[in-house]
Amino acid sequence: MSSGITRAEAIERLNGLLAEEMEASMRYLHLAMMVQGLDRLVVQKVLQDNLEETLEHSEQVAEKILQLGGNPAPKIRIDFEERRYSGKEALQEALLFEQAALDGYRDLLEQVDGCGDVILEEFARQQVSVESEHVSELKMLLGE
Amino acid sequence: MTGWREFDQNLVSHSAAHHLTTIQFLLDEFGYARVSDVARHLGITRGSVSVTLKGLRLRGLVIEDEHKHLGLSEEGIRIARGIHIKRILIQTLFRDVLGIDDEVAEQDACKVEHLVSDDTADAVGRLLQKIETGKAPQQMQKMMKELEKESSGTVSDFPSEKVQKFAELLEQRQTENEGDTK
Repeated sequence: MSSGITRAEAIERLNGLLAEEMEASMRYLHLAMMVQGLDRLVVQKVLQDNLEETLEHSEQVAEKILQLGGNPAPKIRIDFEERRYSGKEALQEALLFEQAALDGYRDLLEQVDGCGDVILEEFARQQVSVESEHVSELKMLLGE
Repeated sequence: MTGWREFDQNLVSHSAAHHLTTIQFLLDEFGYARVSDVARHLGITRGSVSVTLKGLRLRGLVIEDEHKHLGLSEEGIRIARGIHIKRILIQTLFRDVLGIDDEVAEQDACKVEHLVSDDTADAVGRLLQKIETGKAPQQMQKMMKELEKESSGTVSDFPSEKVQKFAELLEQRQTENEGDTK
């Protein structure tokens, strides 16, 4: 890597993003279990689809770490609230951690933009695009 | 004994306490605090911070401006300051009075800082002040020195026979006292 970010820094960043994605998967799973009310019929499916996608993202990020010669080692610490969620509450919470992941990818893109690693740069750009879509979809569902 | 159930209804959870004190620390140190700064400081994900902060915002303890800069409400500042002071007092009590290693004292203080009542913390503060100003009974000063001498660092056989027997005696005395007051 020629400038901006070292290989070790990139691996550390990616491990942070891997933790975001894996935590998001667990959160989606939990929300899909805990969503209640009539909304459950629609929202549970949305949450389960997003769960699948975050798992795919986790694999992609892990793959990227391996390509850089690192080891996927996410530091995960997650607390779940012991309560049921309405459809709206579940989507609001999902928006929070999707937005956090988007911000994380944006930071990565900022760091790798023009650093010489075209593959990593392209990966970050692509993830920003995908996560932006997720955030927009959730906002649309919430009527924001 | 049902007090342990109250832990769940505690004003702030362990995690929330760390979020509040971290925001206060970042504001004092750098003049600003963002979700990413809190996440980095606590070594957790931004997602986790965002989810925890949502609850604290709803309770009116944390505020966020349009630039996503975090702040604490008056009540948030009061709670964060209280937790921070309790941590200092308890750590000092464990280290200076009980002779516990500073690192262990800090970790243990961190575990209880948000659970200890204001009354207990206040009493600890007053006790430490008396010791600091030399107003504690001489016997206590002597005892602290003895404890320091006896302390051998890490305890590997807790409870030792001596401590266990003494705890049993205390428990028995407490039961008797409870019986007397009924």
